[in-house]
Amino acid sequence: MQAPAELAALQGFLAVALRGEEPIAGDAELAEATRAHVAGNDRLTPAEQADLYRVQFWLRHHECLADDYPGLRALAGEDAFDALVRAYLVAYPPHTPSLRDLGADFVTFADGWPGFPADRRAAALEMVRYEHAFIDLFDGAEPPPLDPLKLQGIPEDAWDRARIVLSPLLARLHLEYESHLYRFAAAEAGPDADPPPFPARRAVPLVLYRRDLFIRYDEVDPEALALLDALAAGEPLVAACDRVAATLDTAAAEALGAKVGPWFQQWTERRWIVDVVV
Amino acid sequence: MPPNPAPRDLRSRPARLGAPDLGIGVGLRIKHYPEIFDEGQGSSMGGRPPNPRAEGSSEETRVDWFEIISENFTVPGGMPLHNLGRALERFPIVQHGVSLSIGSAEPLDWEYLRKLKALVSVTRSPWVSDHLCWGSAGGVHLHDLLPLPYTAATVKWVAERARAVQDFLGVRLALENVSSYMTFTSSEMTEWEFVSAIAEEADCGILLDVNNIYVSAYNHAFDADAYVDGVPAERVVQIHLAGHTNHGKYILDTHSDHVIDPVWDLYRRALRRTGPVSTLIEWDDDIPPFAELAAEAAKARAIRDEVCGAGPR
Repeated sequence: MQAPAELAALQGFLAVALRGEEPIAGDAELAEATRAHVAGNDRLTPAEQADLYRVQFWLRHHECLADDYPGLRALAGEDAFDALVRAYLVAYPPHTPSLRDLGADFVTFADGWPGFPADRRAAALEMVRYEHAFIDLFDGAEPPPLDPLKLQGIPEDAWDRARIVLSPLLARLHLEYESHLYRFAAAEAGPDADPPPFPARRAVPLVLYRRDLFIRYDEVDPEALALLDALAAGEPLVAACDRVAATLDTAAAEALGAKVGPWFQQWTERRWIVDVVV
Repeated sequence: MPPNPAPRDLRSRPARLGAPDLGIGVGLRIKHYPEIFDEGQGSSMGGRPPNPRAEGSSEETRVDWFEIISENFTVPGGMPLHNLGRALERFPIVQHGVSLSIGSAEPLDWEYLRKLKALVSVTRSPWVSDHLCWGSAGGVHLHDLLPLPYTAATVKWVAERARAVQDFLGVRLALENVSSYMTFTSSEMTEWEFVSAIAEEADCGILLDVNNIYVSAYNHAFDADAYVDGVPAERVVQIHLAGHTNHGKYILDTHSDHVIDPVWDLYRRALRRTGPVSTLIEWDDDIPPFAELAAEAAKARAIRDEVCGAGPR
């Protein structure tokens, strides 16, 4: 069965009109077109009635993105954040029923958006990527834990080619600012508080992960993050260790060998490793 | 307008379309998890806040069931599903959605419906509700509950879709009357005639939101009593109560305040027609402490007892 043509036409018209950035009542042509569909009453014109929904569209989606990116909102400032959200929603109108997916293209869009203050742009772009990582971690499916019997069953000579499978509930981040500390402070303070001081510039190898339902972060050694990156790319464990060691001086490369075992144990306990494939 | 029928003993009336009477419920909100899950040790209230279903819990804190927003729990894992599991151990849960867009001219979203059905298998929700509205067109989702033109053609379109959804879900569908800020020049009937016609043609339930009736009656100058009197009482499987924000020229359905007296009166009027029906206090913004929400539920319970007689606990 096909939808009634009049219904489809009405909804097509309103789906555009209710996403306009400016009041419908202020656009004579649009207001007249609205009058053809919307009844109005003695208190509100048809355009004013429709504008109630238009205002709610922007408020609702701004609030949703503000909830997902509180650090960016604090860092960029309210005006820049609002301008970014509006530009994003114009370029990427919501295309799924779930508000959870609203920011699906937010990182990509922010990368190309020219509206950040110049002295904050790099930190802001890092914050967007950092905060975006939370979204999938929050409600992603929990993978089954690594079976210790499986580990014990791997022959000694098979470890050369063993591939480590990392948890999907883990994000590896090479931060250049203390974005993790800033975001925590901004979220704790709330949207009405003064923003925290600008995040310190520091190289932070960071793992963001979910464990026991809560999202946590760990600062790790640079070599550890490099190793995790290689493992995530599918490199067998031994080859990955060799690759990372090749980037280090002799002493550091030797020290790496002593670290890998304890790292592996720690990563297993934290459920960063969920499988080993031979 | 003829007077509302006098109260009578309605306890023997059968359940609406097979739906149970769950009593008085509230929305499941993160803010209230400490009280709901009895985690109150060390809270600012001192000692453990009462479990809403514990033996001997007072009427002031009692809640019979919880409503969830389906979309918050159609996710693969994490804290939402964990807390849903905890709630299911203790309370009946009813699903209420916001994304069905039953009135959209676009095809039904079967991916969304599959997720909804999977969630029903977890919650065992005795019915699934969503709104009699539309929210998407041209591939764009407005994430709003937009009103429909009240026409015979729309009735036919929506009823067919509602029947298909109900058949697919395998559980009763209840459509909620939305609050609205605009009506359409193409409308051919009253809103209550529209709601009634769809419910009859689709053989689905009605989630009667009496606050929405009040809001829409204010915004569009119709008789709220006529609305309550004009829907098929036997199809009402649930009633919503909520607060709103009056801006003078219009009311916005903000769900951010107490239920006002005229809405309580509409609730009484509805109950005189329906008998005891599962009732939910909706409070979605500026959410108060649990005790305050439970007090609102207690008020609903007292009114229900007043109209329908105190039923079995």
